[in-house]
Parts: sequence; structure tokens; C-alpha cells
Amino acid sequence: MALSFKVKALSRSKVLKNIFLSSIFLLSFLLILFSKSDYFIVNKIKTISNTFFHPITSFIVAPVKLANNLQNQFYQFRNLKFENNILKEEIMRLKKWQALAVHNTSENRVLKRLLNATDNSISLVKTASLVSRNDFMYNKMININAGIKDGVINNMAVVNHRGLVGRTVDTSITNSRVLLLTDPNSSIAVKTISNDNNSLLQGADDGVHLISSFSKTEIKPKVGDLVVTSGNAQVFPTNILVGKIVKLTKNNFYVLPFVDFKNIDYVQVIETK
Amino acid sequence: MLSKLLSSQILIYNCILFFSFSLSVNYFVDFDILNYIAYVLFHLTLVYLIFYYFNFYLIFLSFLYGIFFDVFLINNISPHLISFLFFVVLFYFTKKYLLNLSSNKVFFLMIVITLIMFFSEAIFANLQFNYPINFENLFRLFVTTIILFFPSLLIFSKIDKL
Repeated sequence: MALSFKVKALSRSKVLKNIFLSSIFLLSFLLILFSKSDYFIVNKIKTISNTFFHPITSFIVAPVKLANNLQNQFYQFRNLKFENNILKEEIMRLKKWQALAVHNTSENRVLKRLLNATDNSISLVKTASLVSRNDFMYNKMININAGIKDGVINNMAVVNHRGLVGRTVDTSITNSRVLLLTDPNSSIAVKTISNDNNSLLQGADDGVHLISSFSKTEIKPKVGDLVVTSGNAQVFPTNILVGKIVKLTKNNFYVLPFVDFKNIDYVQVIETK
Repeated sequence: MLSKLLSSQILIYNCILFFSFSLSVNYFVDFDILNYIAYVLFHLTLVYLIFYYFNFYLIFLSFLYGIFFDVFLINNISPHLISFLFFVVLFYFTKKYLLNLSSNKVFFLMIVITLIMFFSEAIFANLQFNYPINFENLFRLFVTTIILFFPSLLIFSKIDKL
């Protein structure tokens, strides 16, 4: 009697294990499938992990972050004198540019009024700070503390003082993830300032440069040409600085972005007016 | 079963897993070696748990960590999930052969499995989501694994004796 009960219990547990194993595999298969087809369950998982799970991981590593910040501050403090001299020189240079910019701005305003031109400038949705970075190993993404409650939606352009940073993906109520330009899966429509050479740029394999994947014209750009957004794909507003062409190959060109992706503190989410 | 799951060793291993996972998904730009160490430590701990503390809950744990690793590091679900589940289930079906191996062979197998895991994750990420295989990253992971393997085994053996 006892033996038969034991055999039954064992076989039942084996059946349960098999059911558990099969259900885990089925669930994994479905998740992978939905992930490819961008199903809303996967988006929900992304949102939940971004909103609830990521703050926990950030809290866990807070002491490490603190130690890292202290180390950075120590290095900055050591180079203070040298950096101070550089900054003094830069202030002198910028003051000259500022005088010129103030003059050009007032002239621009007057000319626009004379021509009765429509102002197609961009509007600021939200200035946000960096919460954490996920650009270790595979994707190039950062998390910012602006979300749906601030008017941020998916596919909005994100810039900083140097130029285009990327676009928002996976917005939650309070946070958003920004797909950086250097990600291999990001794609932006750009043009060169000198000859309006339209092309598409995506992140290169080295994680630093951008590489052209499609060019509209046969005319080749030159090394040193500035690249700005063309606004063709209607994701990014026009004429936002992207970078400078640094290398030409037979079919492609490489662009070095103006934004220093390793030193992003604050970004601005913008949209076309 | 619950008491087995809540044993002090398992709790410590789970803390190591969660802490190394948290460190892996929060990138420290100026101190990225920490991310590599945490990423390697997570994989080594998981492989160690598979070999010495295999339980059905490990499949569920691999499933969860696989999803979260994929969401945070790739923004799509697949490479880590497939890799973790594949190796856990592979062990489940071959454990009767693997448990007969000598300790040296088991250690060698652990290191090989960890390295294959990194490589398979990179291949899946490349095939499915177009992320290029970064050989420099893989080399760093391989070197970190080799350096970290014996110290972490020493720590694990100390935890086992608790």
C-alpha cells in the first residue's frame, strides 16, 4: 500500500515537472515570437521592468555608483588647475562668438519679419536628466526621467547642447528609454550641409561612429562635411546637428557624432512645432 | 522543499545572482570592468548552481533572469533567455552522466559552458537583432572568466561550508 502510494506520488511529481518544463518552454517561445512581432505583452514587460524593476537594481548598486562618483570627483579635482586654464581660454573664445551670435539673431529676426516667413522651429517638450545607462554589451540605450506624464511619447527626438542624441522608445509614465544614434538598429535620415547629399545613418560596429547605409544621390560627400537631420523620415526635426564625416569608403561614409555619448547628463526631448 | 530553497547557501547564491545582475544592467562608463566582472560572475554563479544545486526552481529563475537581461541589455527578448534555458535543460537531461565526472572535469566543463554561453548570446543577438559580434567584448569576457573562475570557486566552496 505504502509502496504503491510512493510510486503514484513520484509519477505525479514527474508529470508536474514535465508540465512545468513544457509551460516554461511554451511561454519562452511565445515571448520570443511576440518580441519579434512587437506584441503589446512584450511592451508591457518592458514598461514594467523599466518602471518597477530598474529602480530596484539602481538602488542595489547605489553604493557602487557613489564610489564611482567619488573616484571621478577625485580625478576632476586633481586636474582642476589644468582644466581651469583651458576653460578660461574657452570663455574668451565663446565671448567673441556670443557677440556675433547676438548680432546674427537680431538680424535674423528682422529678416524673418520682413519676409513674413513661417517659423518652423522646434519646441521643447521636456528637459530630463539621465537616470541610468544600459549601453553595456549590446544595445546603446539610456534611461531618462521623463515619461508620458511629461508629454513624452515614442519616437520623439532627443538632443543635448552638442546635437542629436537619439529618439525615445518604450516610454512609461515617469521614465523613457532613449535609443542612441550609435545603436546598430537606429536609423536616421540625414543630409550634408555642403551639397544636400541625402542618406540614412546607423550605428557602426565599433559603437562610436555612424555609418551610411543608403545614399540618395551619386554625388560623394567630402571628409569634414557637416551632417544634419534631413527630416525625411518625419521622426526627427530638420537641421539638427548630427556629426562630421571622418572617413569615406567605396560605398559608405563614416560620421563622428558631435555628442559625447559617454558624458550625457541632461537631454532635451523636442518635437516640431 | 521550501526549507531546501530557503537554506542559507541558496539564499546567498541568490543574493550574488541579484547583485551581479543589478551591476551588469547599470553601466558604469568610467569603470566598465565592474560591469564585465558582474556579468561574468552572474554566469559563473548560475552554472555553479546548475551543477551543484540543481532544482526545478532554477529553470524558473533562468527564465526570469533571461527575460530581464534581454529587456535591459538588448531591449528584445531572446538571446539570454534561450541560452540560459538551453543550458539548464541540457544539464537536466544529462545530469546522470555529468555527476559521474571527476571534480577537475566538472570545473573544466563549467568554464567551457560559461564561455559557450557568452558566445551563443552574441550569436543569437547578431542573428535575431542585428547586433554585431563584438570580438573585443568577447575577448574581455573570456579573460575575465579565466581570471575570475578560481577565486569565485574558492568563495563558492566557502559558502557551501556554511
